[in-house]
Amino acid sequence: MFEKKLSPLQTIIMAVALIVVLFPVFWILMTAIKPPTDWNASPAIWIPSEPTFVNFQTLFDPDALGEYGVGGVSQPATKAVFGSILASVVSTALSVLIGLFSAIGISRYGNGSKLTPLIILSGRMFPPAAIAVPFVIMFSNVGLIDSYIGLIAIYVAVTTPFSTWMLKSFVDDLPREIEEAAMIDGRSKLAAHLTVTIPLIKGGLFATTMFIFILNWSEFMFALVLSYSNVSTIPVQLAKYVTATAGTLYGVQAALAVLAMAPLVIVGYLIQSHLARGMTFGAIKQ
Amino acid sequence: MSISQSLSGAPEPSKSKIGLSNGAIARIFTVPGQVVSVLVLVVPLLVALYMSFTDWSPTRGALFDASFIGFENYSELLIWDTRFTYAVIRTFLISVICLSLEFVFGLGLAVLFLRKFRGKSLLFSAFLTPMMILPVVVGYIFWMLFQSNGPINQVIEFVLGADATIQWFRSATAAIFAVIVTEVWHWTPLFFLILLSGLNAVPENPIRAAVILGANPRQVFWRVVMPMLKPVIIVAFVIRSMEIIKLFDEVFMLTRGGPGSSTETISLYIYKLAFNDFQLAYGAAAAFLVLIGSLLLVHLLLAPVRDQLLEVDR
Repeated sequence: MFEKKLSPLQTIIMAVALIVVLFPVFWILMTAIKPPTDWNASPAIWIPSEPTFVNFQTLFDPDALGEYGVGGVSQPATKAVFGSILASVVSTALSVLIGLFSAIGISRYGNGSKLTPLIILSGRMFPPAAIAVPFVIMFSNVGLIDSYIGLIAIYVAVTTPFSTWMLKSFVDDLPREIEEAAMIDGRSKLAAHLTVTIPLIKGGLFATTMFIFILNWSEFMFALVLSYSNVSTIPVQLAKYVTATAGTLYGVQAALAVLAMAPLVIVGYLIQSHLARGMTFGAIKQ
Repeated sequence: MSISQSLSGAPEPSKSKIGLSNGAIARIFTVPGQVVSVLVLVVPLLVALYMSFTDWSPTRGALFDASFIGFENYSELLIWDTRFTYAVIRTFLISVICLSLEFVFGLGLAVLFLRKFRGKSLLFSAFLTPMMILPVVVGYIFWMLFQSNGPINQVIEFVLGADATIQWFRSATAAIFAVIVTEVWHWTPLFFLILLSGLNAVPENPIRAAVILGANPRQVFWRVVMPMLKPVIIVAFVIRSMEIIKLFDEVFMLTRGGPGSSTETISLYIYKLAFNDFQLAYGAAAAFLVLIGSLLLVHLLLAPVRDQLLEVDR
């Protein structure tokens, strides 16, 4: 029953769904290349007549809009881009490293407690707004507020359950006998895992790393409450542009939004086949 | 499909070459992870729990100077704070509506993807695009789309053939509608992805048997395929419930909870309490109520299928 072709009605439904899915993406891309005169035109302009990259330039050089007679942004996005890259890359690396050891530990030597995944899942449910409250208090006492170290510490803590569980599902897929053979050959358990287990799950390791990067790069609320003047990330900067200049700098905001989503869409397509596993803590493989 | 696999299969205890038991190695390997979760999750939670029984706010100096007020924050929230009550009800309603729509659209699309057509893998990627975009950006995109001179009003005008200048963010109903549209657009792909991988994993023999016994395609789908899909459906719902109950980023970008507090979700309300009004202790109490509520909810959701979920394997 599953081998039939699409009926004409189904083809139409599919086409409509595709338009609905892609239109918002089309819109943000178009807005990002609109010159200032097209930004807030009424009725809205769908495809700019004179596409330009001036919005992207403005992100790094606030005066680039001068030729259009429009004041630039109050602050460039350079720091936010730098902050996003720093915080996401470092915290992703740490989270995956910690997760890798936990995953091998739980998968190969764990006591198989049925409770652990439920506890981890429950931890995920606590609203970040609530965790943020004690963090802000503790961090302001130890000088970690408005610092990348503080932000990275939170990101590592929040994403480690994800990296652990996703990596564990890859380790579980691997037959135990392969490592045991290496151990019989005389290697210690640690050496066996470093030279056998880890190379064999490198595909999964890559997918997990990319998935954790997506989570860190997307994070908004912790960055919002923990950043004042030293620290910034792209999502925070995007929110700030909306507040500071509501309705006037559409194009520049859209350019920043495109900059924020481009790496994730690329990474997302790369690990497409592992997305379900990541989103469901390894409950769904494929 | 194997929560089961990850949960079962405890190895037999044995000694390693250097004389460490498996238990010891497990502990050593998981130490960094445990340290991180204790330091960065458990400690703050305990601080927050303590705080929720005090009247602390940043103007009152050090945390331990605050006076202990017992369950006052909690009773205030549960009995008097209608804004909190409404935020809870609103988040719950938004969740139910969004998840239902995401499930229906996701399942419909997944079923279409069981058919044969050209460009399937390209279309598959295209349909996953929304879930790869960060929530803040999704909120920003839809904020633009819902502007009164934006494309959504233009399309409505085109369809109705009349002027439509709906001020989406000025009326409570319209703003909630905008939030729901945004959320459904963003996360239907996740349901699609999970349900499609579930459908692809359904074994063919029971379907063949049903067909031979004279079942029509509709009966095969509802009586044979759907029951086998149930664990996957539950997983999708549990994962999405956990996320949507924390709904914040998109609403922050779209409406900031406005107009008034008519689109305020639980997370947004706690955020405003703690970081706009600096009522940190009160916010912490609200957070704990939410945690208890969502724990109960997810365990209720899991309860009827937990055993099934733990046994189903591919």
